[in-house]
Amino acid sequence: MTGTPPSRSELTKTTSLVLVVVLGLLSAVATVRWLDARRAPADLNVEDEKLYLSGTAIRRMSMAFNGLAADWYWMRSLQYVGRKILQRPENVELDDLQALNLKALAPLLDTATTLDPQFMEPYEYAAVVLPAVDVQEAIRITRKGIEANPNAWRLYQHLGYIYWQQHDYQAAGETYGRGASLPGAPVWMQAMKAKMETEGGSRSTARAIYKQMFEESADTEVKEMARRRLMQLDSLDERDVLRKLFESFREKLGHCPTSWKEFEPVLKNLRVPLDPSGAPFDPSGVAYVLKNESCEVELDPNSGVPAK
Amino acid sequence: MIADSKAIEKQETVRRAHSWGRIGAIARNTFREAVRDRVLYNLVLFVLLLTGAAIFIGELSGGQERKVIVDLGLSAMLLFGVFIAIFVGVGLVYKEIERRTIYAIFSKPVGRGEFLVGKYLGLCLTLLVNVAVMGVGLSLALLYVGRGWDPLIVTIWPAVLLLYLELMILTAVALLFSSFSSPALSALLTFFVFIIGHFSADLKTFAASLGSTASRWLFAGLYYLLPNFSHYSMITAAAHGQAPPASFVIGAAVYAVVYIAVVLATATIIFSRRNFK
Repeated sequence: MTGTPPSRSELTKTTSLVLVVVLGLLSAVATVRWLDARRAPADLNVEDEKLYLSGTAIRRMSMAFNGLAADWYWMRSLQYVGRKILQRPENVELDDLQALNLKALAPLLDTATTLDPQFMEPYEYAAVVLPAVDVQEAIRITRKGIEANPNAWRLYQHLGYIYWQQHDYQAAGETYGRGASLPGAPVWMQAMKAKMETEGGSRSTARAIYKQMFEESADTEVKEMARRRLMQLDSLDERDVLRKLFESFREKLGHCPTSWKEFEPVLKNLRVPLDPSGAPFDPSGVAYVLKNESCEVELDPNSGVPAK
Repeated sequence: MIADSKAIEKQETVRRAHSWGRIGAIARNTFREAVRDRVLYNLVLFVLLLTGAAIFIGELSGGQERKVIVDLGLSAMLLFGVFIAIFVGVGLVYKEIERRTIYAIFSKPVGRGEFLVGKYLGLCLTLLVNVAVMGVGLSLALLYVGRGWDPLIVTIWPAVLLLYLELMILTAVALLFSSFSSPALSALLTFFVFIIGHFSADLKTFAASLGSTASRWLFAGLYYLLPNFSHYSMITAAAHGQAPPASFVIGAAVYAVVYIAVVLATATIIFSRRNFK
């Protein structure tokens, strides 16, 4: 900083160096893009990296940073599932990811909950996503959570949900009952216990479960899954009503409706919103498809309602 | 006789008052030096980290941004604080010797203990400013993420206080090592103490599991000799909205004061015997 203006040679030198930096960076970007394009696709089985350290070892090594390490493993679990979902061309439901071969998910969630046993979201994720992959691991992780947080009624809700998915309504009822007896547990936990014991496999039980999940989950993916399952239940009810109406139509006229237009007066009486062809909408806003040869109503392939 | 003892007592009071004045002057200078050395620039990095996290973490954490922000903010606070305590702490004495300014200081009526305590308090003040600003930054990030008031803004502060106490102990340890060894070795030793301090609960378990009485005594001794930092790790609890009871915080503060006094006294004993000729 002498105050003297830079000489011509100094200016040329600086300009050349700036040019080298800019051109160098551009070349680096171009080279990386070239390499990315030529890289062989990763083997999915190899990509499912193993966790070389147990959760307990990681907890010891993380010292005071165990909470942050738990967050890291939690986000890695979400990214892992998200990446696998994106690799599939077709739509998959969060609670039906069996086909995705999520073998690293259980160790990831297990590590996250070992690092921070009070971190509730990984338990919820384990209860919703893991049963389709490894139900025993889902139960083990949720039980581990109950051991670490014996007063967390929500964990009993998650464990009850796992048993309900496995159609073990007795175990589900008992689990909801144990959760209901905890201080601060909501009244509906007791109602869920009764529901499981009397009508475990019914649609109304399923609706109650997904309604609670939708209302109480902080995880947007779980919330979305519950919303779609509620839509599916609504659609199943609607299709049952439509089938009954088809049956009455056939009894009156001797044949099934050949088109939605022919059936429109019946639907208009019910004040159901219809599309221009007279077809009623499913809960996702897509018109139902009429199969007049079998007197059936089906979901449109573009419907947002889960088919199974 | 009574008049003599009163005069001696008065002289002692004046000397003590002057001593604290000298310590205060050294502490102020140490703080100014740290500011001049751009130590507080780490705050910019911290703010950038929190801002980035507050904006982007929601996308990645599945609705857990508040927990992640607290974990990240308090962990960064501890990590940055540890780096400052170690790397600035080990250079406090060494720099004065290297620049030969220590001769000018000791040519004045400044005791070696006063010099060490002044240096220590100066760095503690730097860390206090650092931790307080980071705490405010973290609270603001929580306000942003929660779109308004969040109870976590209150519950993080006991954890911040405990974290600061941990940094105070670590600074004293760094100063102790730097009173007799090189900066590189001091940094390494202080870092080891930081790590072992977080494993001290394991030391106790290990001591209890050993068969030999001598080994049991050795490891039990190490457990009590080394600082127990596990009592200051409340980051995860704070992220879940749990604040430690006041009695626990007071206990931890008492332990920190006692431990710091022991370490600084040891450092003074060692430093007093050093020959600067």
